[in-house]
Amino acid sequence: MPRRFLLLIGLMVALIWGDVASAGVEQMVWSGLVMANNVAQPDKIPPELNRIEGTLKSWFGYNQFKVIGQSRKTLVTGSEDWLASSKYFSLLVDAKGETETGYRLNLKLFQEKSVLLETEARLSKASPLVIKGPQVGDGQLLLVLVIQ
Amino acid sequence: MKTFEEKWTAWIDGELSAAELAEFEAALPDRAAAEAEKGNAHKLGAFLKENMPARAMGNEEFFHHQLRQGIAADARTAAPEESAAARPAFWPIGRLVWVGATSLAIFCVCAFFVMREKAPTDQSQYLTQILNARVDPALGPNATISMFELKEDKVTVLWTEGLQSLPSEYATK
Repeated sequence: MPRRFLLLIGLMVALIWGDVASAGVEQMVWSGLVMANNVAQPDKIPPELNRIEGTLKSWFGYNQFKVIGQSRKTLVTGSEDWLASSKYFSLLVDAKGETETGYRLNLKLFQEKSVLLETEARLSKASPLVIKGPQVGDGQLLLVLVIQ
Repeated sequence: MKTFEEKWTAWIDGELSAAELAEFEAALPDRAAAEAEKGNAHKLGAFLKENMPARAMGNEEFFHHQLRQGIAADARTAAPEESAAARPAFWPIGRLVWVGATSLAIFCVCAFFVMREKAPTDQSQYLTQILNARVDPALGPNATISMFELKEDKVTVLWTEGLQSLPSEYATK
C-alpha cells in the first residue's frame, strides 16, 4: 500500500515538474553592433554570427565582422528592455511580449543622442534579424539580433 | 355460487341479502333447529368476546430489546463478508501501469492535435518579421528602407539606403 501510494505521488510530481519545466523555458537574446569591412587578413567571425556568416558575406560583401557593442539578455517575462552600445552608437531594445514564435520588439538605434532608426519587429527564435546601418569609414554598421 | 356452509355462516352473521335470506330459509329442512343453533352461535360469540380479551404484553420493552440485539448480532456477522465483497481492493501495480499508459496515450493524441492546430503552416511565420521602420529625416533625409526575408537562410534583413555616411572613428568600441 505505501509503495503504491509513493508510486502515485512520484507520477504526479513528475507530471507537474515536467509541466512547470516546459512552461518556464527562458530565452536569451543576443544583440550586437557589428562593424563589417574588407581586410586582407580577416579576423575569425564572432561565434554569435557563425550561423549567419554566409548570409552576411553574400549580402553585404564584406569579409570581416567585428563586434563593437553587444548585450546578452535573458528574457523571463518577455517584457524586458536592454541596451547594446558602442562609443557612438546605442541599440535600445524594448521587448513588448512573447509571441507564438518569438518576441515582439521595439528597436531604436541611437547615433550619440539622436534616434537614427526605429523599427518594430517580431523576432523569431529560428530567424535572426540583421539591420543595415550607416556607412562608417570604409565599413558598414550592422545590427544583429539572435535568439540563442 | 356460495356453498351451503358459506350461506350458513352468512345467515348466522346476518349478512345475507333479502332474496338470499328468503331462498336460504326456505331451503332449511328444520327451521327451528337452525334458529336454535344460530342463537347458540351468537351466545358463544358474546361469551368469547366477554371472557377472552387480547392479552396485553407485560414485558414489551424487554421483548423489543431482545429483538433489536438479535438483529444487531445478525448484522454484525453478515457485515464483514458483505463489506469485503463490496469494497474493491486498491489497484494493483499492473492495473496502475495500464491506466497510466492509457492516460499518457490519450494525452499524446490530444497534444498532437492541439500542436498540429497551433503549428504555423506558413514558413514565413518562422521568420522574423519587420512590422514597421522609420529613419530620422534629419539624419537621413533621403533614406529608404527595404525588408527581405531570406527563407533559405532563415534571416530577415532590414536594408537601409541613403543614410548619412560617418567617419571611421564611429567604428570605435
